[in-house]
Amino acid sequence: MTDASSGLVLRKATVRLGGRLVLDALSFHLTESRIGILGRNGSGKTTLLRLLAGLIAPDDGTVRVDGVDPFKNRKATLSALGILFQNPDHQILFPTVEEELAFGLAQQGIPQPEALKRAHDLLSVEGRRAWAKAPVSTLSQGQRHYLCLLSVLLMQPRTILLDEPLAGLDLPTQARLARRFAALPQRLITITHDPAVLADADRVLWLDSGAIAADGPPAQVIPAFTAEMARIGELDADADLAG
Amino acid sequence: MERNLTHIALFAALIAILGLIPKIDLAGGVPITAQSLGIMLCGTVLGAKRGALAVLLFLALVAAGLPLLSGGRGGIGVFASPSVGYLVGFPIAAFVIGWLMERTTLAAGPAATLASIIGGIGILSIFGILGMGLMLEKSLPEAAFLAGAFLPGDLIKTVIAGFVTQGLARMRPASLLSRA
Amino acid sequence: MLTLTSPVETWAHPLPAGLKLAFLAVATTGLFALKTPLPLGLACAATALAYLGCGKIFATTGLRLLWPLWPFVVIVGLWHIWIASPATGATIILRMIAAVGLANFVTMTTRLSDMLAVFQWLARPLRPLGLSPRRLALACALVVRFIPVMLERFGQISQSWSARSSRRPGWRALVPVTLAALDDADRAAEALRARGGAG
Repeated sequence: MTDASSGLVLRKATVRLGGRLVLDALSFHLTESRIGILGRNGSGKTTLLRLLAGLIAPDDGTVRVDGVDPFKNRKATLSALGILFQNPDHQILFPTVEEELAFGLAQQGIPQPEALKRAHDLLSVEGRRAWAKAPVSTLSQGQRHYLCLLSVLLMQPRTILLDEPLAGLDLPTQARLARRFAALPQRLITITHDPAVLADADRVLWLDSGAIAADGPPAQVIPAFTAEMARIGELDADADLAG
Repeated sequence: MERNLTHIALFAALIAILGLIPKIDLAGGVPITAQSLGIMLCGTVLGAKRGALAVLLFLALVAAGLPLLSGGRGGIGVFASPSVGYLVGFPIAAFVIGWLMERTTLAAGPAATLASIIGGIGILSIFGILGMGLMLEKSLPEAAFLAGAFLPGDLIKTVIAGFVTQGLARMRPASLLSRA
Repeated sequence: MLTLTSPVETWAHPLPAGLKLAFLAVATTGLFALKTPLPLGLACAATALAYLGCGKIFATTGLRLLWPLWPFVVIVGLWHIWIASPATGATIILRMIAAVGLANFVTMTTRLSDMLAVFQWLARPLRPLGLSPRRLALACALVVRFIPVMLERFGQISQSWSARSSRRPGWRALVPVTLAALDDADRAAEALRARGGAG
C-alpha cells in the first residue's frame, strides 16, 4: 500500500510562479483508483495537475509517478500518465482525427503506418470509423472532447488526469462521458471545483491556497467543502485585489 | 524546446489569419490589409530568430499550396511573380525588426514602430525593388517608383505595429519575448 | 483547410511532386534565358495547352489564379508603349505569365502533403541546425490546425467588441488576438509535452 514505486507521490513539493507561492510543500501518496482534487479557482489545482503531469518541475521537493520523475523522464511518463485538458482546443494538435490519434503512439516509438492502423482500429471499435479523415474543426465540442479521450486512451497510460472533465458540456454529453470514465480500468485523478462530480470517488483532497485543507472519503470532505463554499459565497470578499 | 516550436507555428498561423480577415478600417475609413502587420509583429513580439522562422514557416506553407497570402494568393506561382522580392524580404525584415527590438532600450511602442520602419519598410522595400527590377527588367529607380505606391499604407502599418506592441507590453509585459 | 490543389484529377496529378518541381525549376530558368517575344509566346501557348488538356473547369481556375498579375501587365504594357519598345514589353509580360502559369500548374496538380514531403526531404541538410523533418512536419500541422481556431477567436473578439461599441474594432482587436496566439502557443507546448514532446 505504501510502496513508493506505485501511484503518485509528492514529498514537500513546492511551486512558485512569478515569485508567488502557489503550492506550499505538498506531501501525499495517491494509490486509489478514483481520486478527486477539489478546490476553488486560484487554489492551485491546475498548477498541481501540471506538476503531477511533469509539465513543470517543483521548485522544492520531489514528484514521483510510479517511481519515475515525470518532469525529467518524459519517455517513461508517457505510458504511466495521460492528461485530458479542460479545453479540447488546447489539446488537439493536428488538423485531422487520424493524425491526432496517431501522434501519441508515434511518440512512444511506434512507426507511423502502425500508429495510423491502431488509430483506425480504435475508431472502428468505437463505431466512429468515419471520423478518420475528418478535419477536427468539423467536430462538435462533445466530439472533440471524445477525440481527446481516445487519443489519451490509445497511449494506454496507467493513470489519467482529468481537468474539469465535464465543464461546459451539455447534459447528454456529460452523461455519456461520465459513463465512459466510470468504465475505464485506469486510475483517474479528477481535478474540479464541482463537488458533485466526485460523489463516487474513493478519496478526495481539498486544496486551498496551495495546501491540503482536507483529505479523506467524499462523504467526509465534500460536506465540509460545500459548507465552506456557501459561507464564503455569503461574504462580499471579492473586492480585494491580491498583493 | 516545445515552446519555441509552438510559438513559431502559432505566429505563422497569426500571419495567415491576418491575411484572411476582412481588411481593417482605419479611423478615416481607409482599408488596409493586415498581413504585413503580422510580419512586423513576428519581429516585435518573438524577436529576431523565432520571428524569422515563423515567417519562413508561413512562406513554406504558402509555397506548398495554401492560399494564405492576402487576397487568397498562394502556391509556387507567387514566387515567380514580380512581387517575389517582398516574399524573400519578409523573413529578413522580421529578423531585422526582432534584432532591433532586442537591442534598443526605447519603450516598447516607439521601439516597435522604429524597428518596423527600418525593417518593414527599409529592408523590405530594398528586396521588393530588387525583385521587381529583376523580374520586370526595370532599372532600380523605375522599380522604386512602383514600390513607392505601397509607402503610405506601410507607414500607417508601422504605427499600428507600435500601438499593438505597446498594448501587449501594457496588458502583459512578459508577452514580449523579444524583450525577455 | 482549403488548398489550391485542383479537385479535378488530371494527368499531372499522379506524377511525383519532386519531378514536377525539378521540371519547373529547369523550365523557369529556361524562360529567363529567352530574350524575344516569339519563343516566350510559344511557351505561353504550351502552358495554355497543358491547362486546356486538363479540362475547361481546370483551365478557368488556372486563369483566375493569374488575375493578380494584371496591375503588372498594365503598368509594364503602358510603360513600354510609352517608350516605344513594345517587343521588350511583350517579352517581359509573356515571360511573367508563362513562369507564373507553369508554377501554378504544378501547385494545382500536387497535393499539399506531397509538396510538404518534398520540402521535408529538401530540408534534410538542415538537420544539424535543429530542423529535423519531423519537427518541420509537426510545425506545419500545428499551423494548419490553429488557423481555423484563431479565425474563430478573432470573430469572437470582434463580436464582443461590437457588443459594447458602435465602432468597428479595427486594429485594437489585434492585441487580444496576439495575446491569444501566445496563450495558444503555451498550451499547445504543454499538450505536446504531455504526449511526448517535439523530439
